[in-house]
Amino acid sequence: MPTALVLELRKMRRLRVGIVCAAMVAAVVALTCANLVSDTARSGFDDPADQPWESLLMGYVMVSAMTSPILVAVLASRQVDMEHQGQGWTLSRVAGFGPGLLCRAKVAALGLVLAVAVPAQTALIVMAGLAAGITVPPSPGMWAGYAVRLLLVDLALLCLHVWLAARVDNQLVGLATGMLGAFCGVFSLLMPPALARVLPWGYYAIISPLGMGEEGFLTVTPGYGWLAAFLVVVAVLFGVAGRRLDRREA
Amino acid sequence: MDDIITTHRLTKTYGSRTVVDDLDLRVPRGSVYGFLGPNGSGKSTTMKMLLSLVRPSRGQIHLFGRPMNRDTRPDLLRKVGSLIEAPPGYAHLTGRENMAIVQRMLGLSDRQVSRAVSTVRLQEHMDKRVRAYSLGMKQRLGIAMALAREPRLLVLDEPTNGLDPAGIEEIRELLVSLAADGTTVMVSSHLLDEVDRMASVLGVLGRGRLIFQGTRAELFDRSLPDLVVDTPEPGRALALGVPAVRAERGIRLSGLDDEDTAALVRRLVEGGVPVYGVRRVQQTLEEVFMDLTGREGLV
Repeated sequence: MPTALVLELRKMRRLRVGIVCAAMVAAVVALTCANLVSDTARSGFDDPADQPWESLLMGYVMVSAMTSPILVAVLASRQVDMEHQGQGWTLSRVAGFGPGLLCRAKVAALGLVLAVAVPAQTALIVMAGLAAGITVPPSPGMWAGYAVRLLLVDLALLCLHVWLAARVDNQLVGLATGMLGAFCGVFSLLMPPALARVLPWGYYAIISPLGMGEEGFLTVTPGYGWLAAFLVVVAVLFGVAGRRLDRREA
Repeated sequence: MDDIITTHRLTKTYGSRTVVDDLDLRVPRGSVYGFLGPNGSGKSTTMKMLLSLVRPSRGQIHLFGRPMNRDTRPDLLRKVGSLIEAPPGYAHLTGRENMAIVQRMLGLSDRQVSRAVSTVRLQEHMDKRVRAYSLGMKQRLGIAMALAREPRLLVLDEPTNGLDPAGIEEIRELLVSLAADGTTVMVSSHLLDEVDRMASVLGVLGRGRLIFQGTRAELFDRSLPDLVVDTPEPGRALALGVPAVRAERGIRLSGLDDEDTAALVRRLVEGGVPVYGVRRVQQTLEEVFMDLTGREGLV
């Protein structure tokens, strides 16, 4: 695995993965923080009752649910398509690196990129809130916890997209799935939890630490159990799918 | 001469369709083995089975005298370089970066990589992105990747596909020189002329079956060239009921062995036909192959 991971990182060169990620992070930060400049929001920056941080975090949850599926689909597509285009599957297979191992290495390599991008965008949003003048102290645990859960859901969806990109040569299928995921992700925040739990993109809602009440935002306990079960199911499915890819004939 | 590749009754079926049928290949050490057959005759599937990219439905494969199975496969494939179907190469990376990936993948030394690159004469283009390579350069890069591990066996599937005549000649010279240095080369093609000029042993596949395997000379021995009887009176010869067609200076007959030829001459002479000469027509290799493959389109 270490060799396969190093190879994937080398293959990333000139794929503009960094630029794609940076653009997406900038978009997430910009969309999330757009509300910070409104006079209505600014007037409540020093009043805990106005929940300025909760408002910002809820915006982040919504924007993440919309953008993360697209980012994950684009990254997976770029990293996998080169194998289809460059006969990389065969080249690697005859060198002893089966498609299953290649897919795992791709998830690991892209996971490293996401592991930088997600904390970075979270930190930038918090810094933007502070810079905008929110004087109410933030809740670091809530922000950090959400960032970790967001990263985990992103990684799970990355597994699904890497498999899909490997299985279907036409990368438009994966990208279209990402677009559909973005739609589902946003609307999962409005869905009944039971429905959100059966959709992979519904987990962007399950991990939210906030809900909507009659008097504003409510702190809720994210669905840790459901998230854990989802991650286990995805890991098992990805492992099985990898073995099936290995058994597939060239 | 011992054999580097042997297969016994190697068969691949997809559902009810048999793509490769009871193949008994013998690829001698140090040879350039020309694997010929029309498109769709099963060449690529056979090569993929040799490289464990496709599982045989039946039969055995031996490489370097050892059976190919799950335990021996990694060790055996370490000694095999290959280029199957299209040449590999990540288009967004340079030739050098592609070779660095292969180097890391196979744990090769810098010397092995630079030797492979210089063998295919690609040194001057290593800093160019593969996207900007011509097809010939891509083929050469693919062959460099296959050569880098210094294989004892090189399996190349249609390596001259899409190349111009100069590129084909270059690849041909390269493969002959590799064989001279001790590397066994198995090269497939649907183009007879390409393989004819470099192969020391030929294998001809038709509809998944091995129609012929041996040297060029053995191939000619096996064929029965047409017979031409020089006579000033071909009409009289045909009137005797001889199964012939008119030729430029006489008549032409197919499928006659030596005994048949003697009987024919006797019959013509008894029939009063003046016989000036009897000779075999020199068949081209192409004609021999066309006969063997049932004129499936081998060119």
